[in-house]
Amino acid sequence: MLEFFFKKERQLESLIYSYLENMGKIQKHFAKAMNICLKEGVSDDFCFLMDQTHKFESRADDLRDETNELMYSRALIPESREDIMALLERVDGIPRSFEQILNMIRTQKLSFPGFLILDIQELIRVSMESCDLMAKQIDVLIKKKEGIRALMSTIDQNESHCDHIERRIITKLFDSDLEPFLKLQLKEMVVVMGEISDQADRVSKRINIMTMKRRI
Amino acid sequence: MLSLLGGIFLGWSLGANDASNAFGSAVSSRMVKFWTAAILASLFVVLGAILEGQAGIETLQGLTGLTLKMAVVSSVAAAVTVSIMTLLGLPVSTSQAAVGAILGIGFLNKQLNVAGLGKVVACWLGTPLGGLLVAIVLYRLLAVFYNRSRMDIFESDILLRLALIVAGCYAAYALGANNVANVTAVFVGAGQLTVFSASLVGGLSIALGILTFSRGVMETVGKKLVRLDPFSALVVVLAEGLTVHFYTFVGVPVSTSQAVIGAVLGVGVVKGINTVSRRTLSSILIGWLLTPAIACFIAVALYFAVNLRFMPEY
Repeated sequence: MLEFFFKKERQLESLIYSYLENMGKIQKHFAKAMNICLKEGVSDDFCFLMDQTHKFESRADDLRDETNELMYSRALIPESREDIMALLERVDGIPRSFEQILNMIRTQKLSFPGFLILDIQELIRVSMESCDLMAKQIDVLIKKKEGIRALMSTIDQNESHCDHIERRIITKLFDSDLEPFLKLQLKEMVVVMGEISDQADRVSKRINIMTMKRRI
Repeated sequence: MLSLLGGIFLGWSLGANDASNAFGSAVSSRMVKFWTAAILASLFVVLGAILEGQAGIETLQGLTGLTLKMAVVSSVAAAVTVSIMTLLGLPVSTSQAAVGAILGIGFLNKQLNVAGLGKVVACWLGTPLGGLLVAIVLYRLLAVFYNRSRMDIFESDILLRLALIVAGCYAAYALGANNVANVTAVFVGAGQLTVFSASLVGGLSIALGILTFSRGVMETVGKKLVRLDPFSALVVVLAEGLTVHFYTFVGVPVSTSQAVIGAVLGVGVVKGINTVSRRTLSSILIGWLLTPAIACFIAVALYFAVNLRFMPEY
């Protein structure tokens, strides 16, 4: 009976889960593309995965627009509407960073020097873990399950770990004999990579605030 | 029928102004469409008036003896007072205007039921206080259930929306039951209407006000409530409905707006924040004091005017 009257809310829930599922696909393609790039540089496989990442990123934008449209048609109470819109807006910053990194590699024809590869792999691995935890935290928020704070704390630790890796990479980069222009290009890309875990941390803190707001 | 026009106008303005106390928060936050709210509010106002409006009608008609002319004068005086106060931007209670006008007529015909008047004034004092206390108790009680529930974000939203609609219907029912006396009680005292027909005419005129002119008020006045979180808004509407309904059993028409202000203050007490500014409070106090005085004065002046006779000089 209630399902009939509040089908918009259920529709919205399913859209948010579609968004998260899509986000998982973007992440998977991005991680694969980066692995290939670190092993063999810009190849056909890399370009294919980059196009796939772009395709799913566009799908993420469509899903976000659809979600906002549904919320404007009186789904949810205003406070929840604002919270979810702000949350998705922040989450959306992550796929944008994925796409930006892949674009930089392709358009600027970047290749990674061997002494940076392990650190970059580690940076990507920890960032992907933060994204997974963030998606889990959104699920916990929606389903009102326990564990938001524990997840937030792990994401926070990951963010701090990523900051260390980022600084280490930049230091190694500027200690090296690489061309100054290449140094700047790589530094710019590493900063965008570091932004992934920063953004996941911001989303995680926002989720924690949303949970606290809902406690009466 | 013409003699009822003053009462119908009063009922219309009451419906246009006071429906926002029941559904303003839901409509202004776009949780409920205006027309859904207006139809629900009208339906429940009429139901409340018919099922429980008698007690208030009997109290008001017992305050003084009235002829039909006096009844018309008092209802017009109350309606004019409500219009003046609204134009001045002061919060106005239709109940206080109606009683003030009846008092004016009572002074003139030297028939005043002092015991009945004491009961009415005591209830006026008790309305904001009642709203405040009910809101405090309700907030604490409902918060326990809400925090313990294992609802997800969507379920809790659905529940809050449903609860706000149900609370709005209940507050509209209480509005009809309690305030219908302001509109047509004087005509029962004058022998123009039976208690049932007074409830029906009063309820329908309030509903007319809701359907034709409450949109603007619902969409703007309601926002004052929505600045509270949805849970607090629900507590406020429910506390207002319960307080006004309680006074319906006592048989005294009271102000729904004053009950709302009391409830908003109550939520502020629980949360430890200022929900109502001093300025708002002082304007309410001024309105509280001025409304019955102005209505009483206008009723006396009007009655004096309609009794002037042309005396030809010989």
